[in-house]
Amino acid sequence: MADTRAEAPTLSRRRLLEITGAAAAALPVYGAIPARADIGGELTIANWGGDWNDRCVQVFEAPVIEKKGIKLVHDLQPVPERKAKLLAEQHLPRGTIDVVHLSDADAYEMNERGVLEPLDLSRLPNYQNIRSNLRLPHLVTWIFGGIVMMYNPNKITEPPTSFTDLWNPKYAGRVGLMDQLYFNYIYAASLTNGGTMGDVQKAFPALLELKKAVQPRLYASHQTLAAGFANEEVWISAEYSARIIQWIKEGLPVQWSYPKEGAVVVSFGASLPKRGKNRDAAYFYLNEMLSPQVTAGIAEATSYAPGTTNSALSPDLRARLDFTPEQSAKMNFADYAYAAKNDSSWVEWWNKNMKG
Amino acid sequence: MRHDAEPRPFSLLSPALLVITIGLLLPMAMMFRFSLNRYSANELMTQALTFSNYARFFGDAFYLGILGKTIAVALASTFVALVLGVPAAYFLARLSAPRLKSALILMTVIPLLMGNSVRTAGWMVLLGDRGLCNAILIFLGISDEPLRILYTGKAVLIALVGAILPYMIISLQSVLEGIERVYEEAALTLGAHPATMFRRVLLPMLMPGIFSGSLLCFILAMNAYATPLLIGGPTFQMMAPLVYQQLTKVFDWPFASSMAFVLMSVTLASLVLSSVFIQRRYGRL
Repeated sequence: MADTRAEAPTLSRRRLLEITGAAAAALPVYGAIPARADIGGELTIANWGGDWNDRCVQVFEAPVIEKKGIKLVHDLQPVPERKAKLLAEQHLPRGTIDVVHLSDADAYEMNERGVLEPLDLSRLPNYQNIRSNLRLPHLVTWIFGGIVMMYNPNKITEPPTSFTDLWNPKYAGRVGLMDQLYFNYIYAASLTNGGTMGDVQKAFPALLELKKAVQPRLYASHQTLAAGFANEEVWISAEYSARIIQWIKEGLPVQWSYPKEGAVVVSFGASLPKRGKNRDAAYFYLNEMLSPQVTAGIAEATSYAPGTTNSALSPDLRARLDFTPEQSAKMNFADYAYAAKNDSSWVEWWNKNMKG
Repeated sequence: MRHDAEPRPFSLLSPALLVITIGLLLPMAMMFRFSLNRYSANELMTQALTFSNYARFFGDAFYLGILGKTIAVALASTFVALVLGVPAAYFLARLSAPRLKSALILMTVIPLLMGNSVRTAGWMVLLGDRGLCNAILIFLGISDEPLRILYTGKAVLIALVGAILPYMIISLQSVLEGIERVYEEAALTLGAHPATMFRRVLLPMLMPGIFSGSLLCFILAMNAYATPLLIGGPTFQMMAPLVYQQLTKVFDWPFASSMAFVLMSVTLASLVLSSVFIQRRYGRL
C-alpha cells in the first residue's frame, strides 16, 4: 500500500466521536437500507494497485460484492493520483468513482477539500462495530496499524523500547528512515521531546540532533528500506507495524517493539466521493467491508489489525496482528487539521534540513 | 500549373502543429497560468496574477542550489556520455563487417527497449552495499568495507550516463557514417598526427552529431526523474522529482508549475545559448 498521511486530533476525534455516536444511536439503523435484491449494476472502486488490490479482491470483493451481482470496475492508482482525480472531478456533474479507498489522513484532507460525501449512518449498520477511537464521519475504517520500532535482532539484542533509541549514538550510520514517513518521524521526535501531536515545534531541533548524532540513511520507499535491512546497511528504524509483520513473514531479519511513547496510528478504509453513480451498491460495499469475516480476512491478508470490535480473527492471529489493550490505550492520533495546515511547511523543512 | 500541385510546406506541417498545439502548447499555457495563482490548503489554489511563486524559488538558496545541482549533473553526464560515445560511435561507423555492425548497434539500443525503472532496478543491484560492484572490489582486495555508491551523486551520474549514452552513440554514429574516410586519410597522408586530424578535420565535420547528441542527452538528464529518485535516494535532490513532490504530495500546484517553468526555461535557454555559441565557433550546423 502506498504511503499516506496520518491521523486525528485527540480533541476533534473525541468531538467527532460524540457527533457520530449520537447520530448512530438516534437512527433506526436498518430502516433506510435498500432491499438487498435491488442492489446491482456497476460499481467503480478507486484503490491502490498491486498486491493490495489483489488481496481486497480475493478476501472481500469477489466472494461478497461480485457474488451479489455487482459488477466491479477498478480504477487503480497510487494515492497522489487518486486524490488528484477526485479533486479534478470535483466540478463535473457526475463523478467516475463510486467508492475510494483512502487512509484516515487522506480522507480528512479530501473531505476538507469538499470532495467526499458525509456518510449516511442509517445505511451502514456495521458502522457501530468500528472501534470507537477509529470512527470518522467520512471514512469507513476497516484496518489500522501504527508506527513502531523496527530492528534487526541479530545486531540489536536488546529490543528498543522508545523512539529515542533512534537517537542512540551507538547506532550511528545504522539508523534507516523512510523519506515518505517524514511526518511520523516529526511526531516521534515531538513525543519524545515534550511536544504533542498537535504541537510539533520541539521536533525540529530534535531531528537536527538526530541527524548530527547518527547520520540516518534515508530511503525512498518501504521496499528500499527493507532492502537496507536485508543487506544490513541499517539495523534500526520506525515503520508501520503491518509492514514489519509482513517482512517477518517474508523472512527478513527484523522484529518490532512497541515504543513507550505509544505508536502513531494510521488507519485505512473507504469513502464516498460526491456525485458517485451507484449509491446503493456503494453503501452495500462499505457496510460489507465491516463484516466480521471480511475484517478478519483483510487483516490476515495485509497484517494490519482489524478496525472493528467484532472481527472473526482467530486468537492466534489476533495475538500476532492486534495491539494489546495497554498498547492501544497509549496510541497517538494525529491532529488532522493541524497536520493539513502545516504539512507543506513540514515537507519543505524536511527537504531542506534532513535531505540536504 | 505544376507548382500548384506540389504540397505546400505549411499544409504538410499542419497535422503535427495541430497535435503540438493541443497536446503541448495549450497545457503549457494552462500550467503557466497556474504558476501565477496562489496556493491554498483548502481549495488547491486561488486565482491570482502574482509572480510570488517565482520569487519564492529564486529567493531561496535551497531551490537555487537544487537547480544548480541539476544543471551540473546534466552537463557532467552529457560530457561523460560524449567522451565515451565518440570512440564507440567511431568504431561502429568504421566497422566494415555488416553483421557484427548490426549486432553492435542493436546492443547499443537494447537499453532503450526496456523500461526506465527496470534499468534503474538493475543499477540498484549493481551499486548497492552488497551489490556486484562492491562484491568485486572486496573480492579483489581493493576495498575492505563496502563503498557507499548507491544513493550518492556518483551513482546518479553513472546511471544517467548509462541511460543517455545510447542516444549519444546513435546521434554521433549517424553523422560519422556520412563522413567519408578519405578526409581522414588525406589529413594523415599529409602528415597530420591522428590527434591533430581528429581535432582539425573530424571534429568540425562531426559537430552536427555532437550538437544533436549533446542536446538530446542534456534535455534527458535535466528532466530525469526515476534515476535521481531511485538511484540518488531522498538525499540527492534534483528538479524533476521536486516538481513531482510539490504537485502530488504537497498539492502546491502553483509552486510546482512555476518550478516546471523554471526547469523548462533554463533547459531552453541553455540550448539556445549553446546553439549560438557553436554556430559562431563552427559555422552553421
